Amino acid sequence: MIQRRLLLATPALALPRLAIAQADQRPAITIAVQKISNSNTLEVLREQSNVGERIFFSSIWEGLIGRDWLADLGPVPGLATEWRRISDSVIELKLRPDVRFHNGDTLTAEDVVFSFSRERMFGDTLATAHGRTIAVGEGMPSPRPGKELPPEVPAVARRAWPALERVEAVDAMTVRFHNATPDVTLEGRLSRFGSEIISRRAFEAAPSWLEWARKPVTTGPYRVVEFQADRALLLAAHDDYWGGRPPLRQIRFVEVPEVSSRINGLLAGDYQFACDIPPDQIPGIERNAAFEVQGGTILNHRLICFDKTHPQLRDARVRRAITHAMDRNAIVESLWAGRTEVPKGLQWPYYDQMFHADWSVPAYDPAEARRLLREAGYRGEPIPYRLLNNYYTNQNATAQVLVEMWRSVGLNIQIEMKENWSQILERTPTRAVRDWSNSAPFNDPVSSLVAQHGPNGQQQQVGEYSNDELNRLAVELETGTDRARRRAAFRRMLEIAEREDPAYTVIHQNATFTAKRRDIRWKASPAFAMDFRQGNWGS
Amino acid sequence: MIRFLGSRLLRAAITIVMVVTFAFVVLRLSGDPAQIIMGADAPPEAVEAFRAAWGLDQPVWVQYFNYFGAILQGDLGRSMRDGRDAIVLVAERIPATLALTLPALAIKIGLGIPAGITAALHRNSFIDRAVMMLAVAGFTIPSFVLGLLLVLVFAVQLGWLPSGGQDSWRHAILPIITLGVGGAAVLARFTRSAMLEVLGQPYIRTASAKGVPWRSVVWGHALPNAAIPTVTIVGFMVGSLIAGAVVVESVFSWPGVGRLLVVAVGNRDLAVVQCILLLVAMTMVTSNLIVDLLYGVLDPRLRNQPRRAAGTA
Repeated sequence: MIQRRLLLATPALALPRLAIAQADQRPAITIAVQKISNSNTLEVLREQSNVGERIFFSSIWEGLIGRDWLADLGPVPGLATEWRRISDSVIELKLRPDVRFHNGDTLTAEDVVFSFSRERMFGDTLATAHGRTIAVGEGMPSPRPGKELPPEVPAVARRAWPALERVEAVDAMTVRFHNATPDVTLEGRLSRFGSEIISRRAFEAAPSWLEWARKPVTTGPYRVVEFQADRALLLAAHDDYWGGRPPLRQIRFVEVPEVSSRINGLLAGDYQFACDIPPDQIPGIERNAAFEVQGGTILNHRLICFDKTHPQLRDARVRRAITHAMDRNAIVESLWAGRTEVPKGLQWPYYDQMFHADWSVPAYDPAEARRLLREAGYRGEPIPYRLLNNYYTNQNATAQVLVEMWRSVGLNIQIEMKENWSQILERTPTRAVRDWSNSAPFNDPVSSLVAQHGPNGQQQQVGEYSNDELNRLAVELETGTDRARRRAAFRRMLEIAEREDPAYTVIHQNATFTAKRRDIRWKASPAFAMDFRQGNWGS
Repeated sequence: MIRFLGSRLLRAAITIVMVVTFAFVVLRLSGDPAQIIMGADAPPEAVEAFRAAWGLDQPVWVQYFNYFGAILQGDLGRSMRDGRDAIVLVAERIPATLALTLPALAIKIGLGIPAGITAALHRNSFIDRAVMMLAVAGFTIPSFVLGLLLVLVFAVQLGWLPSGGQDSWRHAILPIITLGVGGAAVLARFTRSAMLEVLGQPYIRTASAKGVPWRSVVWGHALPNAAIPTVTIVGFMVGSLIAGAVVVESVFSWPGVGRLLVVAVGNRDLAVVQCILLLVAMTMVTSNLIVDLLYGVLDPRLRNQPRRAAGTA
């Protein structure tokens, strides 16, 4: 009898599940990536990395001002539908109505105010005047597990918003951002990585900051189901998404550190996408007509940085000689098969009116390099070149090619392999030349040249570089509101940092490549971000 | 016996202290964890804040004594990457690693020892040459090459098995084979050598001359005497169960202790690295201790000569 009841009950139990499965015919995909998250969290203020950009945007996190991920990455309405300037230091935004968080709550001004609060972003740090490093307060939260912010979060937040005083809820659907100083880049800062909006209720309900950071509740088209650090991230469709029902039922990112394993998994059908494909692997993949590789240049330039305190580099003519001895186009053609390009210095066209289209990197001119070295009295003294083992794509090969190019003009630059960034940046007499890459988190040079090489930028903070005029111009660029003056200041900064007193020299624009099945209709973004919203999927 | 055990435990403790100290010094001298974990683009103030919060701004010797003091109180520290207890992170990964290394150990023993015995018993025959050729191949092919070859054949070309990951038992087959083949080859070679040495001994000839059946000579006289070097190798294999699959776990994206170790070393996540090394050292030391005790079981002459037994280990 019991068995009969069980037999009768079994189909009934199975029916609802079957019905759900039949109702949702959307595909589930698996994406193999080299790394899911460097910080083991999914919090934008902690995971400020390229790999983080891939999983965050546009799947999980969204800001008030979004980015056009499938075009030029320029600003577009996001969780705010419109915005206007109240003054040089105040901006007002109208929130998009009927935006639902993953927990079902509706977005209000209160969530925006909380997203930019001390409790979530700034900790004990204060909005500061420019030209000063942000101090770490005595009362910095303890790293013990709990709701306290990890110490780097307020520092990162203040770097993104150095002079933000407060965010005001004008009414339930209107907010105002008040800056301590005039700032023409407020709109850009609102669109940048780190300015996304969270659910206040979900943050407060989370048992600890860490648990929040592993399963943030946001407004994006996909919600976090499960995050296993260093292993996998499972996202599911957020069907109440304001931008339309997501086309995928489920996205699973799996961490596959070896490039050959990612490619094999793609070819074997285990993954639908394989990311971080080196350029030399592309022809091999595309030999199989069922697969293709998408991608290309991104908002990131590869640089060589100089330590101008090194005895051989104190004379700017030696640094200038280095910049003129580099045949960048040869590197792009040989190591990247022409799939990237040599940019116009440390800037991007999406700077729009701040972009200097007539600027260029120093010309490849070996004769000029030799002349400069002669004038500087350089006699072939060794110049160390600190190098990581292929941290960047093609890094070792590029370094070896460059060393030979430099040798041909008489420069004795010697590679020193290092294991990590700490060793690269270590302040010792052998620090002279190193690799780096710079991004532009928003569409203004304040986000790149000023942020990376200005008075508060890493290069000056670690003691590699300083230039009084460049530093004065950096402040003008940050606080100035006259467009023409800002444009002129940026031009002059480029002249100083790339020509007269080089802080760095750009090698090429970075690129990223994703392999996928050819029958999947999906377009790669000119960024690490992967867009799986409605309109960018078909099969 | 108590004296023997006591001296072994003291040696084990000293070994563990040395391993932990060495790891601490090397990791501290080879890079600042704050800069490594925060990355190349981290704002300097964020790096400073991280350093201060985790005590990395203290002198190294202060950090060392703090760390050691905590260990003595049973606190193995917390991961600087995600704030959880290092022991929790490591313990989460141990089952995954054992799911590969234990079956692989069974393959090593189940395949390697019979193959070695067979080769020795058929010395210079076709069987011997075939077994040794396979053993040399298995021994010399790096595990990452073998792993990729197996993936190409069984995942990409034939589509029989998945290429990587840990979703089902099928995902474990290729990594287990990859791990098992190399170890089986090593054991086959050692077992063959040990057997050949024993088979050449006078007591084997005497037993045969006395008319003892060859099967009894092999099982009763040759194998027990040839077991000592084999047991030593198996002991090392048991000792490496926890972290002996670093390369294979990376090739097959298997989320075990080996991958955790690679990531933690790369990030200088000190507590996690030291926790793993502590576990590995303890496993290895325990395994060696058991091997020493087994010597006495296998060779009754060594029971009353622990010092000599230790010397042969």
